[in-house]
Amino acid sequence: MAIKFPSVEFFQELANRMQGNAAEFEKLGFCDTVMAVKVDGGDPHLYGLTFSCFDCTDVRELGGADELELDFTLVAPLALWREMFESIQKSGIPEPAYTLNSLSHVGDRMAVVYDDPEGHDKFYRFMATIQAFVNQASDLDIEWA
Amino acid sequence: MSYYGSTDYSYNSDFNLRVRDMKKGNLDFGWLDDARDKVEVRRQDPRRGLMLQDIEVGDYAIENTPEVVRENRGLAPRGAILAEGSDQPDLGPTLNKKSDVWGYRVQSYWEEAMSRQWNVTTDVPWQDMDKYEIPEEIEFAFCQLCTLLSEVEMIATDLPSKWSHHMNSQFQEVKGFIATQCIDEARHAEVFRKRALANGVGLLRASVRGEHALKGILEADSYSEGSVFLHVLGEGFILTLFRSSEFISPTPVEQRMFQLVMQDEARHVSYGLQHLKYLMDECPEARPQINGFLDEAERHLTGLFNPDQLESMIVLGGKGTSPECIKRGVETVGAFQGKQIQEYFHRAERAGLPERRERSPLLELQQRMLTAIQAV
Repeated sequence: MAIKFPSVEFFQELANRMQGNAAEFEKLGFCDTVMAVKVDGGDPHLYGLTFSCFDCTDVRELGGADELELDFTLVAPLALWREMFESIQKSGIPEPAYTLNSLSHVGDRMAVVYDDPEGHDKFYRFMATIQAFVNQASDLDIEWA
Repeated sequence: MSYYGSTDYSYNSDFNLRVRDMKKGNLDFGWLDDARDKVEVRRQDPRRGLMLQDIEVGDYAIENTPEVVRENRGLAPRGAILAEGSDQPDLGPTLNKKSDVWGYRVQSYWEEAMSRQWNVTTDVPWQDMDKYEIPEEIEFAFCQLCTLLSEVEMIATDLPSKWSHHMNSQFQEVKGFIATQCIDEARHAEVFRKRALANGVGLLRASVRGEHALKGILEADSYSEGSVFLHVLGEGFILTLFRSSEFISPTPVEQRMFQLVMQDEARHVSYGLQHLKYLMDECPEARPQINGFLDEAERHLTGLFNPDQLESMIVLGGKGTSPECIKRGVETVGAFQGKQIQEYFHRAERAGLPERRERSPLLELQQRMLTAIQAV
């Protein structure tokens, strides 16, 4: 059954898969960060993702960034999120231009919004885990909003 | 042998008599005389196992350690019972103030470091390298970049090693954390060396400018100066360089490599930031010294922007050597460098040094770079 993007169910499915892929994520190590994904556009959505130990322990839609103590927020328009996930679905990992780091590093394609530089640095401290988390969408049947 | 102790314990008759007694079963259990009450240790999260934060209790907790450690100058771990008098040998630690080395959340950085170790030989998908064709000019540029990064990693291994034995053993977590940094940096030197050689090109030109900059890190007069130079300034810049290198990597193999190294680097930056913040909070009189040091360190660091590295980054950023590629590469590299400087100022501000933004020589450098890019 197709899962709509963006939705809580989409990110919850990734969180469930993370638990199912315990060996992969335990190998990557502890991941402790509270991040958000913002899907910009005409109908914007903001999702909070809490990572603790080897799991994503909480997924929720947020009414505003102040509802959680966020380390950082990844902000991109729906079209870019779609391009990224479609790239991941081609071969299980994103093409070079579509890794989270590449998308957010230069230009304004994907913004990393943060208050505290240490919160910002957590994006890089846990980069391999966060990238593996989104890569789990490689075989999801996604219904685009 | 350069150390001859005041007692030759191998010929100590009291000891020999005691051993003879013990062999007869006569134990006196004197080592239990000073035993303290038991402590209560709780594992906060069973999935994580037993964390350093879980054993921060009673006399074992760093928060119960005075700012200046006077009693323990040997190898006794924090909380151990020291011999009466001055029988413990003095190993001459020079970093005996907590603010000399400590940083907020050091214990959690240690746990994160131990949990997120990786292996160059098996965790980089070397087997996939044959799947990709890399143009020769790109491969050469990448190998030049790997050469500079190998030099950088050498110094980042040596600096923590240089200071570890100067730290009082009360600060075990910091000694441990910088030991993890040593293995992280040694692993980074390994990965860049392996990648440079993997396609046959090998290492290219070592950097004179770069090595002068790196020498400045090693020659810092105090650990805090070395830390702010290495962890906050140097590794902060290198973290952005790793991000940039992931961005311009020719294939997913190199991207994976940079995703892994950037994790380690960001952890070191976080420790450095928290040490600087702790120092500014607990020892604000150090501010002029640190500022004066950074005035010079920031000049030194510009040595990392050496022509060989810049050219190789431009070729990688523009994905070639045609005039159009070079123009694109110059723009890309200019954007990286602006980001490096801004992120450094933001970290310095957070650590309690907002004045860096005003007094730093990096601003002039940035302006020069921006002008150069606009002129292209």
